Amino acid sequence: MSQAPGPLAGRRVLLVEDEYLIAETMEEWLRMAGAEVIGPVPSVAHALALIEGAAPRLDGAVLDVSLGRGETARPIADRLNELGVPFVFATGDLRIIDDRVHRERPRLEKPIRRLQLLATLEALFASRSPTSR
Amino acid sequence: MPRSATMVNRQQVLADFGELALQSLELDEILHEACRLISTTLGTGRAKVLEIMDRGKSLLVRAGVGWKPGIVGKLYLPMDEHSSETFAIKAREPVITHDISKEDRFEVPPFMKDAGVVAFINVPIFLPGGRTYGLLQVDAIEPQEFGYDDIQFLRTYAIILGPVIDRLLMARILRSTEERFRLTVEAALDYAIFLSDPQDRITDWLPGAEAVFGWTAEEAIGRHTAIIFNPEDLENQRDRWETETARREGVAPNVRWHVRKDGTQVFIEGSTRALRDTDGTLLGFLKIGKDVTERRAGEERLRESEERFRQFGEASSDLIWIRDAATLQFEYLSPAVETLYGTSREALMAGDTLERWADLIYPEDRDQALSRIHSVRAGARTTGTFRIRRPSDDETRWIDNTDFPLFDETGRVQRVAGIAKDVTDARMSAARQEVLVAELQHRSRNLLGVIASLASKTLGEQGPPASFQARLQALSRAQGLLSRYGSDTAEVGALIRAELEAHTEIRPPKVVVSGPRVHLTASQVQNFSLAIHELTTNAVKYGALRNGAGQLSVTWTVGRNGKGQRQVALAWTEQGVEVNPETVNRRGYGRELIERALSYALRAETEFVLAEGGVQCRIQLPLE
Repeated sequence: MSQAPGPLAGRRVLLVEDEYLIAETMEEWLRMAGAEVIGPVPSVAHALALIEGAAPRLDGAVLDVSLGRGETARPIADRLNELGVPFVFATGDLRIIDDRVHRERPRLEKPIRRLQLLATLEALFASRSPTSR
Repeated sequence: MPRSATMVNRQQVLADFGELALQSLELDEILHEACRLISTTLGTGRAKVLEIMDRGKSLLVRAGVGWKPGIVGKLYLPMDEHSSETFAIKAREPVITHDISKEDRFEVPPFMKDAGVVAFINVPIFLPGGRTYGLLQVDAIEPQEFGYDDIQFLRTYAIILGPVIDRLLMARILRSTEERFRLTVEAALDYAIFLSDPQDRITDWLPGAEAVFGWTAEEAIGRHTAIIFNPEDLENQRDRWETETARREGVAPNVRWHVRKDGTQVFIEGSTRALRDTDGTLLGFLKIGKDVTERRAGEERLRESEERFRQFGEASSDLIWIRDAATLQFEYLSPAVETLYGTSREALMAGDTLERWADLIYPEDRDQALSRIHSVRAGARTTGTFRIRRPSDDETRWIDNTDFPLFDETGRVQRVAGIAKDVTDARMSAARQEVLVAELQHRSRNLLGVIASLASKTLGEQGPPASFQARLQALSRAQGLLSRYGSDTAEVGALIRAELEAHTEIRPPKVVVSGPRVHLTASQVQNFSLAIHELTTNAVKYGALRNGAGQLSVTWTVGRNGKGQRQVALAWTEQGVEVNPETVNRRGYGRELIERALSYALRAETEFVLAEGGVQCRIQLPLE
């Protein structure tokens, strides 16, 4: 699967999204584009656990900002920042991540469209080569 | 005139004079008459009386006959050492000058020389007790040999004059004292002063009494003092009480409303005093009182205004406070302080009240709160909010303050005052509102994502558009229930019934829905109701609800799972269904939804089994 042809071929992408139906759909879109999806996972705890297991080989991430029960993706974003892994925010609430550290990150407004997601990730990866062999 | 005749004549003069002196009360008249009689008797045509003035520094020509105008009553002679007058006063005996042209002992005052006086006698007048009043002086314009008889006559005359003068002087002093007293009393118009007899009938009614009560002296005198009593006081025999008390104790207070002639009320502060003779016989009563109606009305207005402010402050649920501008200490704190600050009014009003108050404020907010107080003292109006730690429950409260200066009549800031309000709840609800709006935006955007996802899944797998529509309707039903509760939750029973009613006409006893009331949160509702939707449509198409062939029971309980979390455990049980293996093996999107959607983010455990007789599904969903 990781060698499948497509604009995101060979890219390992962490997907964090608490809404099952949306997560499932995005997962499919990414796979179809050739990416290897890490997840999807619905919470900070799950996401951090995956990052620690796969970090050296992560190319990027798509982070839903609001993860239910008041939890936000900020700890995940902070951790990815430390690791130098690029990511995009996917959010239904435009105000929720507005601090200085993350304001400049690319951001996708929900509802997310397939082409928009793929184009944003492509742009994110444009100057980098895939980490996976 | 033979000597004896002269003597008789002189005796007669003295007697006449004595009679006059007894009758007359006018000192000037008596002295003038004395001079006339003497000058006539001695045939000199001139005589005068000199009175010592200015504590012995000068002599006034008090009375006299035979003198030009401008002398009697007007001329003052200095009492110098070289005058015969001074000599006579000091020697306390008569001094005679027979011929002033031969006189080398004394200097003669110019007015006497001008009048042609050549001879005179000075006889001192002594008052009882020995004090010298002045001189009796007889002047002649021809040299005269004053004889022994003449001198004795004049001495006798002077001796009679002394007590007469003394009596009249005393009377004059007395009269002027009385006059002064009368003037004083009559001028005291603010004071009602009157006297009554032992039966309390008015005997004296002074102008002040008329001014205060409106009755004239003519009208009042002879009437009972009851004319100025209120009917209620008369009924209570207040008048009797006052006179009885005065009779017994000398004086009784007289402080109450009185009635005026025109029927209006006047408040008097005064007393009733018993007047007694030296032997103790009651003469009557002296009543003195001051009209204090205006002052009382003013005090009443002040009291009312203070009462009004107090009521306002006590009733206000906002805190009203006032500080002294100089010391910044609290002067007033309304009772709301106990609710707002969770501290008793007494505790906040004790000691250094500024410091005590500041101690309650969060350290981060304290400086600003204090600086606001200081800027109000400088004349500014301010508003601001600070946090306090409320001692009664250790809660953080937000206090909103509107502070303003109170000025005295010179425009100086006399007090610093303010109104404080606890805005914690308002702030919380504003914050909650903000969260809700964010949540709403998040949810509606997510919902669109969910719909898009459902569409692509359902239609992408060549599912019929009707299925997509049905799923969309299930979603919208769930959303509708969420908004109906208005509390961001939906009840499990309501969700299930709404779904069943949308798809089947079949009712109990073929369908049984039962379980306790339990609410699911917004994030749970969406997936839960989609799962119920899939179970329902499946049952309608292939299972218990198809043609009313079987039985469906949906029951749930609330309990704890293995980790001790509260959870709802739901059992979907179909019975009496002929199982068709073909449909069982079909692992469609519906079944995927049931098995995965709930477990993904909601950590639910689901078990879907096709048992003998129909579908059995168990869902264990942790509650938040």
